[in-house]
Amino acid sequence: MIYLSQLVGNPVYDLNGERIGRVNDLGIATGEVFPRVTSLAVEGPGRTPFMISWRKYVDSFDESDVRLKVIATDIRFSYLQPDEVLIARDLLNKQIVDTRGARVVRVNDLKLSDTSSSQLRLLGAEVGVRGILRSLSPALELLVVRASRALGKPLPERIIAWNYMDLLDRDLSNVKLSVSHKTLDELHPADIADIIERLDPRLRGQVFAQLDEERAADAIAELEDDSMAAELMGDMDVTAASRLLSEMDPDDAAELVSELDYDKAEKLLRLMGVKERGAIRQLLGYREDTAGRIMTSEVVWLGEDATVGDAKQAIRSLDEAFESVHYVYLKDEEGRLSGVVSLRSIISFDDDAKLGDIAYDDLVCARPDDDQEDVALDIAKYNLLAMPVVDDERHLLGIVTVDDALDVLEEEHEEDLQIAGGGRGDADGRKGTSGLLWLLRNELWFFAWMVGLAALALLVGDGRRELVFALGAALPVAVIAALDSVSYTTNFFIENDPDDEDSPSLAGFALKGVGLGLVFAAFESLVAVGVLSALFGQDAGGVKAGQLAVLSFGAAAASVLASFLLAPVCLSVLRSRDEKGAETSGIALQLLAMAISVALFCAITLALVAGLGL
Amino acid sequence: MAAATDRGGRKAGRLALLAAMGPGILTALAGNDAGGVATYSTAGATFGFGMLWTVPLMCLLLIVVQETSARMGCATGKGFASLIRERFGIRISAVAMLSLIVSNFAVTLSEFAGIASGMALFGVPTWASVPIAAITTWLLAVSGSYRHIEKILLAIGLVFVTYIVAGVMAHPDWGEALRCTLVPQASADPSYISLLVANVGTTISPYMIFMVASNVVEKNLDASDIPGQRADNVSGAIFAEIITWFIILTTGAVLFPAGILVNDAADAAQALVPLAGRYASAMFAAGLVGASFLAACVMPGITAGALCEAFGWERGINRRWQEAPVYYGTIALITLASAGLVLLPGADLFGIMMASQVINGVLLPVLLLCMVTIADDRHIMGEHANGRLWSGLTWFTIVAVIILTVVMFVFMALGY
Repeated sequence: MIYLSQLVGNPVYDLNGERIGRVNDLGIATGEVFPRVTSLAVEGPGRTPFMISWRKYVDSFDESDVRLKVIATDIRFSYLQPDEVLIARDLLNKQIVDTRGARVVRVNDLKLSDTSSSQLRLLGAEVGVRGILRSLSPALELLVVRASRALGKPLPERIIAWNYMDLLDRDLSNVKLSVSHKTLDELHPADIADIIERLDPRLRGQVFAQLDEERAADAIAELEDDSMAAELMGDMDVTAASRLLSEMDPDDAAELVSELDYDKAEKLLRLMGVKERGAIRQLLGYREDTAGRIMTSEVVWLGEDATVGDAKQAIRSLDEAFESVHYVYLKDEEGRLSGVVSLRSIISFDDDAKLGDIAYDDLVCARPDDDQEDVALDIAKYNLLAMPVVDDERHLLGIVTVDDALDVLEEEHEEDLQIAGGGRGDADGRKGTSGLLWLLRNELWFFAWMVGLAALALLVGDGRRELVFALGAALPVAVIAALDSVSYTTNFFIENDPDDEDSPSLAGFALKGVGLGLVFAAFESLVAVGVLSALFGQDAGGVKAGQLAVLSFGAAAASVLASFLLAPVCLSVLRSRDEKGAETSGIALQLLAMAISVALFCAITLALVAGLGL
Repeated sequence: MAAATDRGGRKAGRLALLAAMGPGILTALAGNDAGGVATYSTAGATFGFGMLWTVPLMCLLLIVVQETSARMGCATGKGFASLIRERFGIRISAVAMLSLIVSNFAVTLSEFAGIASGMALFGVPTWASVPIAAITTWLLAVSGSYRHIEKILLAIGLVFVTYIVAGVMAHPDWGEALRCTLVPQASADPSYISLLVANVGTTISPYMIFMVASNVVEKNLDASDIPGQRADNVSGAIFAEIITWFIILTTGAVLFPAGILVNDAADAAQALVPLAGRYASAMFAAGLVGASFLAACVMPGITAGALCEAFGWERGINRRWQEAPVYYGTIALITLASAGLVLLPGADLFGIMMASQVINGVLLPVLLLCMVTIADDRHIMGEHANGRLWSGLTWFTIVAVIILTVVMFVFMALGY
């Protein structure tokens, strides 16, 4: 067992013990699972590099030197073969993909093993901390390993075998990878997408270009970040990009095309086959967030007279890239959708059974302009694997499959969370800071209170600063009520769709809001006046602080009422932004609401102070 | 339709304006952070116009360094830390990363010191302002939300542009100022030497090389973008150095004749009195806090990112804590430790700001050596490798800083 870091730089001696240079690199033949070291790269006198065959010339090697079998004058140089890799140049310190763990790592050292006296094989790349420590100093590695063992947490090596690595910088090394190699292309597209997301943008494009078309198409559809997908697409040359689009499912392709800028999209579509282009254009014709946009036109559709055998034949003859098939749909003589047969029925019935007889004809269908969320919810409700989308004449346009429906639900859920102020994705404790952030978000009113006090202090002038606390006593009431009115509005917004017939009207919403605000404001001021009177005596009249506190609660009540009066405005803004497809952040709404309430409170308080001559 | 195009056009116009305020200007403005203002104010107050001659020289060197790192990013598509690791291996990377960590830690320290002394001018005590700033910057850094307020903070930092107005209103002797700018002066005063090192360290900070390169890499710019980057960097550097020149000019014209030595932020703020009168300290404090706060958000992230890039660990705010423990750990540690040090009782805030720039200057040659070797290497850079002039200027910087550092340490050892 020996590491590359222990070999590189060692002196090389010939048979006579004459020093001919130092070890510079090792060449390996890439055809095997544990590749053999085939050549030794030596840096000779005057820094001239040369390569010699390992098998022919190397007699022995260890951590201090390499000894050759022959004398220096008998050595013949060799050259790097196309299937050879220089491990120090091409692997050490480079980024590779660990294809078993689906991660991007950096090679810190390479582990070699002597299988016979002079044969040396590459066991794998060390990517853990131990490789770093060893390269810094072997003594340091020993020390840390012992220390960690003593602490009961041994530090294992992290070795990735050659057949589980994929070199990223392929055009730098020009490595031809062996057939037995499990490369990036063989990973699941979702894993490939994960890896691509973790690379630097330039490398991203290069790695992506190495994938075969089908993988690339699947992987790009799996990328979570649509703009990243669009950027990858934008960097490819036009013909390759259009071929990639043709390879993708039409609904995924349509989503991607809608992310591209207009000229680029047009250029790509023009280069595509007529059929695929038609499919994508048709999907793009529907509004965003509708069933039409997410449906796929790849459907198995047969006449009612067809038999089970015909259906099997039709499914068998499908292209591999065809969307997965769960149902076979039937049409009557006029081409209208008349029934559906599940795969299970097709497998269980005899080949000559007529599809029309075994079909289920009580179909749940969607219209292309139905909201995507409704369609997804229906798919969940009726336990479907796909839902047909039909036009007014009941002609089948396509189907929305369950995987797309899941995506829609996730997307809508995130949107709702964001508007509700929960933040994106953080809610599940994804980061260590989420707890603190959540708490800060909930306690935002405190910061608004402090800002409000500072503003009041500035406004009342230097002479009367001691009054500020009495004046600002009720400010939290106003701020928290403003936050509540925001969540009242957002809840209403999430639960009720303006297009729904049975959803309450805007006027109703406004009226209810005003009612709530009025009742709460009245209740709040009565309780406050009651408590203050008990504290300061009847009318709280005698004490100045008491008067100011009463005044403060009065201002708070007015501000509460105003917040709820503004709720319909907030709802209209939310709806119009949603219409335009703009995302609204809940935090921004809350901040705005708080700012308005603080400003209102300060204005009312100061007006009252001035008006009453206090 | 016409209306739609019109709107599109106007939007494009606004975007173009933002794009014009590109990374070059951003980096340049970030250079005028707490440490920068402290160094320049001290230079002006202590030596009058005696250090004005360094400004054009620094400008040239700043252009060389920024242009080189942007070009490295464009030509290779890799961050500076990656390049160091792949070109030099683990040992040198470890040295380079150590220098970066030490230098960035010093800078972060100076940013918190800047926030503390700026807030002190508003009357907020250090024990309140620093923990608040530490927690806020940490949250902003790990959630990435500082990008939302980046422009606001930058705008606050633009307060220092008022030094140009203040400089004019201070009625300096323009002829003398010009002469001092063009004719280099030397002095064997030990504090002059250490101030020179600090001056280099604050103008060409180690973090800048990493920041410019990663900016380019993130945007996936390639060789065709090199001319655009060049223009951006040159304009940014000139803009930054104009402000620097005016800071030294103003402090040299106002504080130096009055014999005021800059020992804290309040002294430094005095330079703005001709312009802002009694609001001078409020204005200075706002600028100091804004610039320092932004830098304190960015600095730990840059350090952690480079460290993880060099050693192949997961990084970036899109990762979870469990996935990228080193990344988040480094950010937290740097923020915590530097805020903690500033909180130590009796900490000399202005001294910290100055000292951190000296540390920057001392460590700069390590990273510049890596940079010039990589930028000269035709295997890595292809046809975009350094020309002789650029290579020579970088070497000049390296040698000059090393000599200055040695001289400075000799003076220190001799007990000056």
